[in-house]
Amino acid sequence: MSATGVLTKPLRQPSVLPGFGLTFGFTTFFLSAIVLLPLAALVLMASRLSFSEFFAVILDPRAIGSYRLSFGAAFLAATINAVFGFVIAWTLVRYEFPGKKIIDALIDMPFALPTAVSGIALTTVFAQNGWVGQYLEPLGIKVAYTWIGVTVALTLIGMPFMVRTVQPALEEVQKDLEDAAETLGAGRFHIFRRIILPTVLPALLTGFALAFARGVGEYGSVIFISGNLPMKTEITPLLIVIKLEEFDYRGAAALGTVMLVISFVMLLAINLLQGWGRQRYVRSAR
Amino acid sequence: MSITLDQVTKRYQGVPVVNDVSVEIGEGEFFVLLGPSGSGKSTLLRAIAGLTGVSHGRIALHGRDVTHVSARERGVGLVFQNYALFRHMTVADNIEFALRVRRMKRADRLARRKELLRLVALEGMDERLPAQLSGGQQQRVAVARALAHKPEVLLLDEPFGALDAKIREELRRTIRQVQRELGITTVLVTHDQEEAFALADRIGVMNLGRLLEMGPPGELYTRPTTRFVATFLGAANLLLGHQTRNGIHFGNTGFDGTRSHEVVAVLRPEEVELAPSRGKLDSRYLAAGSVEEILFTGALERLRIRLTRGSDEVQLARSNNGDGSFLEVTRTQPEQREFAVKVGQDIAIGFRRVHVLPTPLSSFTACAANEAELETLSRHPWLVELATRMSTRVSGRIEPALANGDIDCAKMDRHFSGAAVIASGPDALKNIECLLARGAEEVFVLPADAPSPQRVLIHWADEAARAATLAVSASLLRHVSAEAVYLDIKPEHTPATERPQGMRALLDARSEAQAVHGLEMRTELHFGDITSELVRRLGESSDQLLILGVSQISGLAQRFGQLLAAIPRAPLLVVYREPESIAESQAAVGMA
Repeated sequence: MSATGVLTKPLRQPSVLPGFGLTFGFTTFFLSAIVLLPLAALVLMASRLSFSEFFAVILDPRAIGSYRLSFGAAFLAATINAVFGFVIAWTLVRYEFPGKKIIDALIDMPFALPTAVSGIALTTVFAQNGWVGQYLEPLGIKVAYTWIGVTVALTLIGMPFMVRTVQPALEEVQKDLEDAAETLGAGRFHIFRRIILPTVLPALLTGFALAFARGVGEYGSVIFISGNLPMKTEITPLLIVIKLEEFDYRGAAALGTVMLVISFVMLLAINLLQGWGRQRYVRSAR
Repeated sequence: MSITLDQVTKRYQGVPVVNDVSVEIGEGEFFVLLGPSGSGKSTLLRAIAGLTGVSHGRIALHGRDVTHVSARERGVGLVFQNYALFRHMTVADNIEFALRVRRMKRADRLARRKELLRLVALEGMDERLPAQLSGGQQQRVAVARALAHKPEVLLLDEPFGALDAKIREELRRTIRQVQRELGITTVLVTHDQEEAFALADRIGVMNLGRLLEMGPPGELYTRPTTRFVATFLGAANLLLGHQTRNGIHFGNTGFDGTRSHEVVAVLRPEEVELAPSRGKLDSRYLAAGSVEEILFTGALERLRIRLTRGSDEVQLARSNNGDGSFLEVTRTQPEQREFAVKVGQDIAIGFRRVHVLPTPLSSFTACAANEAELETLSRHPWLVELATRMSTRVSGRIEPALANGDIDCAKMDRHFSGAAVIASGPDALKNIECLLARGAEEVFVLPADAPSPQRVLIHWADEAARAATLAVSASLLRHVSAEAVYLDIKPEHTPATERPQGMRALLDARSEAQAVHGLEMRTELHFGDITSELVRRLGESSDQLLILGVSQISGLAQRFGQLLAAIPRAPLLVVYREPESIAESQAAVGMA
């Protein structure tokens, strides 16, 4: 290669993995085969319905009730996780205490447990005669077989996503930053709001998106604790299963498409928000 | 006084990290805390900032006691080694942080920001993010941010550590300028002596949590009082010499046999003169040697000279491990031109100037009755550790008198160099008496398994021994990370009217220790029997050393026999000065 060649052509970065062409090919192939193709099939199946049939299925009051529960409970659970997952991550990052390793390992349990098991376990605890449920009952709080139970289940399922994304971000907030802010006269709330939160916000949003997405798609743990009353405690995935059991594949596909669209829009929104936050954080870091 | 620290102590899990530091820093002064890593200097700085609480002592800023005031309300400016800039904020937001917290008006904030950016030469960088700035620029922003709220005190924690040499020098100049322009009291922490010399009005050298010495850079360099400062500030050869009425002598040259005592002398590498032969030296002859190594470093030539073994061998304080003693020498270009040397060449060594350290502990001489015991004693872990820390030597000496009670020690010749060290045992008291009679002035008594002490108890039995005991204690404590406690014990039936007298003596002792010897110690006054009080105090834990000052040899057995029998496992240091010898040695030091 001539000297001018070196200057005009960008240097190829040598890498352990094969070059861009091959990896990009793999990426598109896998996304297509595993994600896009089944989704296309879903939309295709739904498209066999006429417009009026399609809207009749997706605007059915029972369906609308189920969207509200599915997305509402998932959103609420992700919000709860945003607060308490942050606290757990903070505790694990900032403090040393006996049994820390065990608690750290416990965080991942919901990842590993079959969701049906979590559902049964939660139902046992929160049912009217369960360990916790029997004390909540006299207070007029019913957890199992209500939307609260659904939220509890989704909170459990989404928690590790939150903790595991926030943890590394918190580790990056050096104690020095807080010390600096303190010597400059900032109080604790001010330090949290102006220094810690902005630094971990991108990670917090990522965790939120992951927990939310997981909650929307959750099936196994919810059906045991929800009681599955139409219009009240019936989640959309369950409605889809019911439709499948009635061999109404097109109706199921229609509902699936709706979930797909709403999930995609919400995730995209969160991603954009997050991208904006990150950009602000390290704008053109060289 | 702008910053006053009074006996500031910080312990982590019982271990003192900052040990009894007292210092007063004046208005507008640039004070540099210099010390190796782990010496407690950063902890001390954080304590001044209020980010670390103190275990003991007081901190005052401009006469206001802030010991228990939070960092928020102390109003100091702090700059960190890693800048600690808020990375999600622009330069402007970073600088205005403290002003926003204080709800300053927008126009005032803007004016202040412009002023600060001009001060640190970063005009026009307002809207940049920290990630878009170089390391040096980021640190300038950090300095501006720390100054925004007009703090009374600016604290800098190794601010140049992460920068390369050229930028470091530039930033150093900026900080000096800013400091002069604002007249702000500044404390900077560093481990880099060059930085300390370049910036400081006054340097405080820290080691093992203690503030060893303070003074203007030049003063500390030419007249250090401790060997740590002598060797930490620049290179130094530590020599053992003998101080006599007629001045200082090294080796056996010109030693006239008059009464002398061993001292440690600092010989700076640049004060050494080399010549082809003794007669051609312009300065005083020190020894003969040969060139071992030559290192060319640009302006200076650095040499290692091997001292020739012989009868007039100079004693280096640092114990040599068998392969000979070496002297560090630096020579300027003119010196090199006048007398060029080659590796292996034999030369004569002269010295232009030496500085005698006022430390009474020069070296250690382990004494035992036979070879085997001597071997064990000189390998005592704590003795070896102490000698290494003091960079001094442990020599051995067989003393037949130690085993044989029939030999009258008082009739033997009186010549002893350094502090004597003996093993503890039933005969310890007799051995102490004997060694003191032979001319030793300090006797260490070490039990075989003594751990390094965490606390040093100081007590003098006779008022005449006070000065010497304090001097030896200070000298020892500079090399041990233990806390010092002075115990004064008055008879139990001291009438109430005389008790305030005891109190006053106690305070006098403390201020003497502080002012004359730079030793910070706690003080306790007890009423009771001396022996039982000391035994009780020593019984509290096993890692205590007792320093006992006496000024009479006769009657030691009656006075301390019981004490020594009661504490067979506690290490002991007996300090003895004859009243006239105190006066004599002080006169001698004064002459040098």
